[in-house]
Amino acid sequence: MGTKRMTHDVAIVAMGCTPFRDHWNSSADDLLVDAVTECLAALPEVQLADVDAFWVGTQGSGMSGQTLARPLRLVGKPVTRVENYCATGSEAFRNAAFAVASGAYDVVMATGVEKLKDSSQAGLSAVYPPSDGTDVDWTAPAGFSLLAPAYQQAHGVGDRDLRSALTHVAVKNHANGSRNSRAQFQKAIAPEVVESSPKIAGPLGVMDCSGVSDGAAAAILVRAEDAYKYTDKPIFLRGMSFVAGSGAGLAADGYDFTTFPEVVLAAQQAYEQAGVSDPATEISLAEVHDCFTPTELVLMEDLGFSERGKAWRDILDGRYDLDGALPVNSDGGLKSFGHPIGATGLRMMFECFTQLRGEAGERQVPDARLAVAQNLGGQPGSCVAFVAVLGTEPSTREEVGG
Amino acid sequence: MSEQLGIEAYAAYLPAYVLEHNQLDATGLPRPGGPTRGVAAFDEDSVTLAVEALRHVAGATPEGRQLLLATTSAPYDAKTAAGIVHEALGLDPGVAAVDLRGHRSGATALDLVLRAGASAALADVRQTRPGAPDELAQGDAAAAFTGGTGAATLLARAGHTTEVLERWRLPGERTDRIWDERFTADILVAAGREAAGRALVDAGLDAVDHVVVSSSNARAAATLRRALGGAGEDARIERAAGFTGAAHPGLLLAATLDIAEPGQTVLLVSATEGADAFVLRVGDGVRAARGGASVRDQLAARQPLGYGRYLRWRGLLDVQGPARPAAPAPAAPPMHRRAGWKFRLEGSVCDACGTVTTPPSRACAACGIVAEIPGKRISLRDQVARVVSVTTDHLTTMPEDAVDIVVADVEGGGRLTAYATDVPAGSVAVGDAVRPVFRRLWTTDGIHNYFWKLRPQEDNR
Repeated sequence: MGTKRMTHDVAIVAMGCTPFRDHWNSSADDLLVDAVTECLAALPEVQLADVDAFWVGTQGSGMSGQTLARPLRLVGKPVTRVENYCATGSEAFRNAAFAVASGAYDVVMATGVEKLKDSSQAGLSAVYPPSDGTDVDWTAPAGFSLLAPAYQQAHGVGDRDLRSALTHVAVKNHANGSRNSRAQFQKAIAPEVVESSPKIAGPLGVMDCSGVSDGAAAAILVRAEDAYKYTDKPIFLRGMSFVAGSGAGLAADGYDFTTFPEVVLAAQQAYEQAGVSDPATEISLAEVHDCFTPTELVLMEDLGFSERGKAWRDILDGRYDLDGALPVNSDGGLKSFGHPIGATGLRMMFECFTQLRGEAGERQVPDARLAVAQNLGGQPGSCVAFVAVLGTEPSTREEVGG
Repeated sequence: MSEQLGIEAYAAYLPAYVLEHNQLDATGLPRPGGPTRGVAAFDEDSVTLAVEALRHVAGATPEGRQLLLATTSAPYDAKTAAGIVHEALGLDPGVAAVDLRGHRSGATALDLVLRAGASAALADVRQTRPGAPDELAQGDAAAAFTGGTGAATLLARAGHTTEVLERWRLPGERTDRIWDERFTADILVAAGREAAGRALVDAGLDAVDHVVVSSSNARAAATLRRALGGAGEDARIERAAGFTGAAHPGLLLAATLDIAEPGQTVLLVSATEGADAFVLRVGDGVRAARGGASVRDQLAARQPLGYGRYLRWRGLLDVQGPARPAAPAPAAPPMHRRAGWKFRLEGSVCDACGTVTTPPSRACAACGIVAEIPGKRISLRDQVARVVSVTTDHLTTMPEDAVDIVVADVEGGGRLTAYATDVPAGSVAVGDAVRPVFRRLWTTDGIHNYFWKLRPQEDNR
């Protein structure tokens, strides 16, 4: 879609998502089979052979399209493996969406998977090409924790206020996850638990960090005009944008670590396509990339939900709680649902899909009409960012420019 | 090279830490007034010490001269350590880079500075077994000299070679073995007196203003100081810094030049594996000849280091680290391609908008204009930078519980993301001034990974 309207609009007609957790007895293959099986089961008349093309996103759990073709024994199908840091699942979705939007295929599947727990390391793993050794060998929480002091400095927020806002993000997302049987951590936690957890990086403790887990998710996409042939509750892609940052935030002075410029731009483009002019009031719910608690704080401003410098206050006021004006991460988010890298973007879609269909049970957001799925990877100053707007109704082609 | 021989410029570098006691079980107070030793941080070695000493004085070393690194603690066998120093200083490729090894190499390097106009770093990291009788009497430091006459001229020199088993170490071993110092002191004192006597005769002097004695044997040093009429200022420096191996004659000479008046005379005797004696006349330009802070100021600015931390830094205490893979080893081709960045901290300057991009890039990080090859380069290593944001990594693979990592903007343009060093974790704040220092990040797969870190800017250094 870029900033232009696609030839055909796109709808999601079925999704699947494994529980995210320590899957000691499942391989990446098993998880993909589970997610794809659940996804297909929603459409009894569609068989695997009816899917024209596949995308699989994974950062490190497999190479090439065979990551999906082999476990499913797909015969004669095009399968594309994609990778874009922690936005890998979204990237699989985005490319699959383009494929049906172009008219090249009628039915496509986007999948994502990650198997992180088979190593003995906590935290995310990645393999980098040979280098000159000059990059800081920092952890993901260290990179993202740079947001905290910079945000405080820029907006004059005291230590206690910032800590309370970050704690509230974690407590909220765990409370949401406690209502979700697929979440890695299904236990509400007290603020003291967050604040007394062992420190990892800067002000961030273990409980400021997303769950490291195994999981997979899948979606079937068709052209919007065909959607009701498959289901009476399709969910429509109203806007979508992806930005791979130039890395300028770390390569030149000027960037101040209080925002993700890549997210701001992607959100602007997705909102424009979706006809959203005031996201703070028009969006029903949002799934955002809460890899670490300060990330969610900053994203509330980057996505236009809070005024600059005010998100910490809105968070403390409960605006983003499940019963707040704009529920964020109703499924628990990366924080308590978990973060198997290649699957996360599609997991966000899965929650939006579930909520917009009114199938979220005790965490259902009333009258959900428009949802945002926002996914990013990399680190502040040098990231990749994805934003999608999903809705219960198709776009009216006349009302949206492009 | 002028007819006159001597020292053009000099500098000393003392690491930021001092070890004041070595009690494993700290049940009582350390002995008051006892020796203390300078301690190189876990990210320092003889190469990084040499860079820090030389960066103030050796930038203009002309083609055809030599860059010497004298040490008993080279980071590699077989590979020339001076080549790494040469690259970090950005010297002309026509300057040769040579390692000198062994206890006597410091005095030899000084001789080659004085007589051949070489540039030299004398740098050493001294290691004993924990609890060794002389553990606190050894120390880590570097001194640097360039040839010329700004700081001092050479009046005379004499050398005396004696083969004696005094201090030795087999390849792969970490600590020196030592013969009974009462026997070796006799040998070294005799050699020192002989060399000093000849040098003074050749200089036509009966007495000098400053006597400086460096010896690998403390007993010999004390005897020679008394015999040559020294005032003991060199002993006071040594008691604070420790005996710094190959660096020691350079460190004591630098400390003397710090306080000597123009026109005064200096007798420097280095008694190790024989002896070397130099008689110098202090030059009119001695004050301007010093690069960086004085030895005494650096000694006063050191921060105390706990013995447990010292043992951990040196790998003498095997401590559980984080559940993280070791930092990856650098690869030779990218290190070579990006030597300007890695060793000299060079960024690229945009022809169109003037923005500095780090690491250097064909395309400007601000405006995206693609530069002609080669683009303009600017070194950021001598600039001050301001901290934009900071974090404390509690899962560091370094031998510390936590290490600060900062993003800092260089005055005049450029952004650096780097480890903070010589500062307690959690103490760097947004807005602080920092400056680059050359350090060893880590060693993986037998490859030492050198790069720049950021150290808080001191007012007095």
